[in-house]
Amino acid sequence: MEKITLGHGSGGRLTQELIGKVVELFPPQLVAGDMEDCTFIDDHMAMTIDSFTVTPRTFPGGDIGKLAICGSANDLAVRGIAPENIAMSLVIEEGFELEELKKYMRSAAKVCQDLGLRLTAGDTKVVPAGALDGLFITTCSVGRRKTSYPLGMNNLRPGDKLMVTTSIGQHGATIGAERFNLSSENLRSDCGSLWSCIQDIIDVDGLRCLRDCTRGGLGTALCEWAEGTGYGMEIEEVLIPLSEEVSAICDILGFDPLYLACEGCALIGASPSAMDRILARLRNNPISSDTRVIGEVVENHGRIVGMKTLIGGMRIVDMPVGEMLPRIC
Amino acid sequence: MSTRDLARIGSILKAIHKMTERPMILMEVCGTHTVSIFRHGIRELLPSSIRLLSGPGCPVCVTDQADIDAALSLARRKDTLIATYGDMLRVPGSRTSLAEERSSGSDIRIITSASQCIDLAMEHPDREVIFFAVGFETTAPATASLVLEASRKELPNLSVINFHKRTPPVLEALAMDPSLKIDGFILPGHVSVILGHGPYSFLAEKYGKASCIAGFEGEDILLAIADLCLQIREGRPRAASVYPRAVRPEGNPMALELMDRVFLSGPAKWRGIGPIQDSGFAFRKEFSPFDARIKWDLHIPETEPPEGCRCGDVLSGKITPRECPLFSTACTPVKPVGPCMVSSEGTCSAYFRFARGGNPDWKR
Repeated sequence: MEKITLGHGSGGRLTQELIGKVVELFPPQLVAGDMEDCTFIDDHMAMTIDSFTVTPRTFPGGDIGKLAICGSANDLAVRGIAPENIAMSLVIEEGFELEELKKYMRSAAKVCQDLGLRLTAGDTKVVPAGALDGLFITTCSVGRRKTSYPLGMNNLRPGDKLMVTTSIGQHGATIGAERFNLSSENLRSDCGSLWSCIQDIIDVDGLRCLRDCTRGGLGTALCEWAEGTGYGMEIEEVLIPLSEEVSAICDILGFDPLYLACEGCALIGASPSAMDRILARLRNNPISSDTRVIGEVVENHGRIVGMKTLIGGMRIVDMPVGEMLPRIC
Repeated sequence: MSTRDLARIGSILKAIHKMTERPMILMEVCGTHTVSIFRHGIRELLPSSIRLLSGPGCPVCVTDQADIDAALSLARRKDTLIATYGDMLRVPGSRTSLAEERSSGSDIRIITSASQCIDLAMEHPDREVIFFAVGFETTAPATASLVLEASRKELPNLSVINFHKRTPPVLEALAMDPSLKIDGFILPGHVSVILGHGPYSFLAEKYGKASCIAGFEGEDILLAIADLCLQIREGRPRAASVYPRAVRPEGNPMALELMDRVFLSGPAKWRGIGPIQDSGFAFRKEFSPFDARIKWDLHIPETEPPEGCRCGDVLSGKITPRECPLFSTACTPVKPVGPCMVSSEGTCSAYFRFARGGNPDWKR
């Protein structure tokens, strides 16, 4: 009897498989959506839903409340949609301290205020002690398209440039470090809203698409674009922004930074002619001041992400399968 | 990476290309090296006359299937808590894996240091904490230290199911295998931090094999390959090192002493390779109360490997993953058949993930 393992929740190949098995039970004409972060429900409105569970619930750079709003809002933002309405559901374990819950809700409210995001609907459930680990938050957000054409990976063409807005893996490394008692002063989650920097570029002609690199990291986002478009993606390791702290955590635990979760980092595809304008505008915004071009969309090795390594070799960046685990030695 | 770094790497590569008139077979013994070679795309930078073989250096891959079954039988008990290193979680026994047992309700904790077992045992006095100890000389000292600490604290609810393995005996088995024809070994960096240079000298003296200890950056591995090429070309094999920033010739005396206080050499069974004399770590008699095999009276029945799986031949360098009929058809990272496809350091997994089975045509 096949069972669900933690690997099915890692955002990689096993997650895709599980989603496939769930969705196939619905009549195809009743399933909307593509392999993007959110789905248009008509020409202008789009919708997304996301659940949040994180250990520890408070971490350097944020907490589960901030994460739950930013995560959902970012899924809209990367398709050029201004987040407007959000519904939130809380599932709380019996015995959870009210003050702790209020702390997360204050963080959530702060993000809503910054974004002008309206709390439209909500639900709370309390379950007996032991039925879940503390607190689960689910958010569903709806917003309106602000671009003249829908952003999506189907706009990508060979020759288009690939960019990332900040150094990769900061959220995953921070959480990993907290869990394994390796935290350091300079390690902070990038948890934050992407809307302000995306707003700066949505009117640039030649902007093709964006992706919120969350669970599964930059590597998984690139794999999804390669598999979703049929084109190859080609990146250069030397161009990818990576902090020394994240790199050190990866060395210690045996993680590949390409697959570490980000919570405030967008992957961007744009035409070569739009690249300079996009770079200039993003670098003017503090949350994306470190934006870099990391590679481009290519005609060859379709469906595969290739990376030129630091020492000049070539390797494949494959979609991870399951849970990322610390290695032995 | 600076232009100066790149220029240095360029000159190492030039030297390698100059020294390889005849074909040579080099084996990297360490799983972290296998992954690093792929991560840096080293194979395609080398001349075609150099063949890199991967050896039995993935610690979870070489853990025998029956040994994993034994750990699984302990995990299924309600009164136990299993602590192990992350990589062990997905490796299949004959029927399930620790990951599957965990999803069925077994309490399995991933730890990064053996000493965490002390805290676990003290926090859960009503349960037996069993450390599933795997790995080479890199992790064995930490297990030794754990056992000494548990013994000092007289912890009644902590035991170790010990599947540690020693590197030099398996190197000797590979060096003397006439079917392999290995010219030189890239020796494991982390293991050598503990062992030093001495335990490898037999490779040159007894078997005429070149060898070189390497670090894990792309440049480290290229340097080691260049050193091996030179040893082979000049016909002067030795136990060399290009990793002096981490490895001292005498190794780590404190770690060596720890291992010696707790363990003796004993036979060990390697998955796919079979039993190798003196390649295991047996508990000294005074520490046998911490030996989970004795404490739980474990009798581990032999089991057959999955049908068609050639992990054993991959682990001993007899074939590359592409020569296994199951590779990338019946056996993929999503549906792995053998341990080499499961572990992040497994040879088959590395071939699949980084190079589509080592097929250079993927770039077209």
